[in-house]
Amino acid sequence: MKHWILVFAALFLAACATSVERVAPDSTIDLSGAWNDTDSRLVAEEMIQDALSRPWAGEFTGRTGKRPVVIVGTVRNLSHEHINVKTFVADMERALINSGRVDFVASRDDRGEIRDERVDQDLNAREDTRNAAGQELGADFMMQGQINTIIDVEGKEQVRYYQVDLTLISMADNRKVWLGQKKIKKYVKNAKLRY
Amino acid sequence: MTLRSLALTLLCSAVLLLQGCSAWQVNQAAASLTVAGPQATLNRLEQIEPAGRDEAQYLLNTGVLKLYLGDWRGSRQDLEQAKSIMQSMQAVSVTENFAALTANETLRTYNGTPTDQVLVHVMLAISYLMTGDLDGARVEMLQANITMKQLADDDSTMGQLASARFIAGLVYELNGEWDDALISYRRCYTILQARGEPIPEALQVSLLNLTKRQGFKKEYQDFSSQFGQEAQLPGKDEGEWFLIYFDGVVSSKTENRISVFDAEVDTMVSVVMPHYRPSTYQPRRLTLVGAERQQSGILENLEVRAREDLDAESAKILAAATVRAVAKYKMVQEAQSKNDFSGILMNIATVVSEQADVRSWNMLPASLQIARIKSPLPASVSLAEKARSLPPLEQFSNRRSAVILANSLLDRIYVWPPLPERESQAEPASGEQGLQEQQSEQGEANATQ
Repeated sequence: MKHWILVFAALFLAACATSVERVAPDSTIDLSGAWNDTDSRLVAEEMIQDALSRPWAGEFTGRTGKRPVVIVGTVRNLSHEHINVKTFVADMERALINSGRVDFVASRDDRGEIRDERVDQDLNAREDTRNAAGQELGADFMMQGQINTIIDVEGKEQVRYYQVDLTLISMADNRKVWLGQKKIKKYVKNAKLRY
Repeated sequence: MTLRSLALTLLCSAVLLLQGCSAWQVNQAAASLTVAGPQATLNRLEQIEPAGRDEAQYLLNTGVLKLYLGDWRGSRQDLEQAKSIMQSMQAVSVTENFAALTANETLRTYNGTPTDQVLVHVMLAISYLMTGDLDGARVEMLQANITMKQLADDDSTMGQLASARFIAGLVYELNGEWDDALISYRRCYTILQARGEPIPEALQVSLLNLTKRQGFKKEYQDFSSQFGQEAQLPGKDEGEWFLIYFDGVVSSKTENRISVFDAEVDTMVSVVMPHYRPSTYQPRRLTLVGAERQQSGILENLEVRAREDLDAESAKILAAATVRAVAKYKMVQEAQSKNDFSGILMNIATVVSEQADVRSWNMLPASLQIARIKSPLPASVSLAEKARSLPPLEQFSNRRSAVILANSLLDRIYVWPPLPERESQAEPASGEQGLQEQQSEQGEANATQ
């Protein structure tokens, strides 16, 4: 009997211990079925591949002789979860800039701080190092988008469907020049029993 | 292990359980919330180290107190954590069930009543709303919809909250999603009808406005003749004011103990059940006054919801208490058969360890009330009972609507979009510097005193 108690005590203590294991950033670990890093990465990969393989950037460069300048507008989260859309938008920005075919300018949220700094430079920076106001690069395209979800629930089972839509709109004439879409579907079964 | 040592262990455990019972301390703090106020009560709660199984209850309470105090970020942090705990505890625990059937119900992890599980989304949505994060509020309302679907039962409105439906309608309306807003308002109306509760005037106006806006003529006429009024759609130079008002503090559970002494076998048997004392809640209203005036109407009477939730569980709790009483009786008999002293110790242990689960989200308001009026953009509005005047919409917002959050426990009110600096005065109470700093963030509702 005493042995059994010891075995149970050991198992109980082992279950209580915190464990940490380092894993590759691109490994897939689904815990709750909610939106996670893997979903964000899958969306970014799909969107980048699609955006770079479509003719909008080449057409613009051919017509104007310069690289298109893109600004990130609003990516609305209309889903059932609090999703940080900045992760895959940042992945997209990085990949598109690194491709050398597109330039990005600071978004509305980011540029306030930059303008403040420029005003500060006017007062405090050496004249030959100052950056003048009114020299900003205007965007040719704005990226907008939204995440939508449909969730079907029955008891402990759920089907979660995510659809991410991104659109590039020409600032000159409101033309939609690129539409990117990624769909993710998950079937989640929650446990009925726990320890 | 001898029976004597088992009895001693049970006795010590029971005493420790009573001493360390954070739920009991939380209930004490809840009892004094009306007198002490949210800040003092929050300070008191922060001195408590909750047991793991009481954490959700603790966080629900700290979260709602922070919401009252306008600490939006802090409230969201606590409520999100509580929500996550409650969701992860929905599966049945083998060990907790065993402990509950042999010792007492407080050994289960608190996973919230159906009302708690939905209302946590409502409180989070209000918090997001007051920081201007309409998408965040929308997420919470979608989640509330899922939770209510999971709790839905054809025979009752258990876990179906009119407040969740109305706030969802409000969020959709502020987002310009008229179809979804109307659907939510209709569901709110259906819940109140099913319960036989009066339809608040704000909901009447919402239904009339939306059915008219969307061109549902037949439905509009039906509502119009039922409510005896017409739609109040704002004109070109008018805006709308929405009031969310928290009134009072919901009751806490107490313990009902029945102890029977069986003289033949010298054994005391106790059965305990949680219960609510009869409610003495007298709702107080708040009147929103502009070009027209409207008194706030009760959308959710949480005093009633709390009692309904307990009633729905009482058969299960009683069955568990009966099983536990039989098990404990057998344990005492077993101990007595060895020797009298062990029997006495075991009997004391079993009686002391018998505790009712009186945990609840007991710092909620007793009722959640609403009002909505239209008002000319250049005209100020006021809250009559609080003698508080608010500047015209056009002076502080490009939006044509504003949301006011008021509470009977505080003189302070919150407005989104935030009022101009001169209108929002700093809270003089000490220990709230962090709170004021958080409120000064761009876009967040500010307090006016």
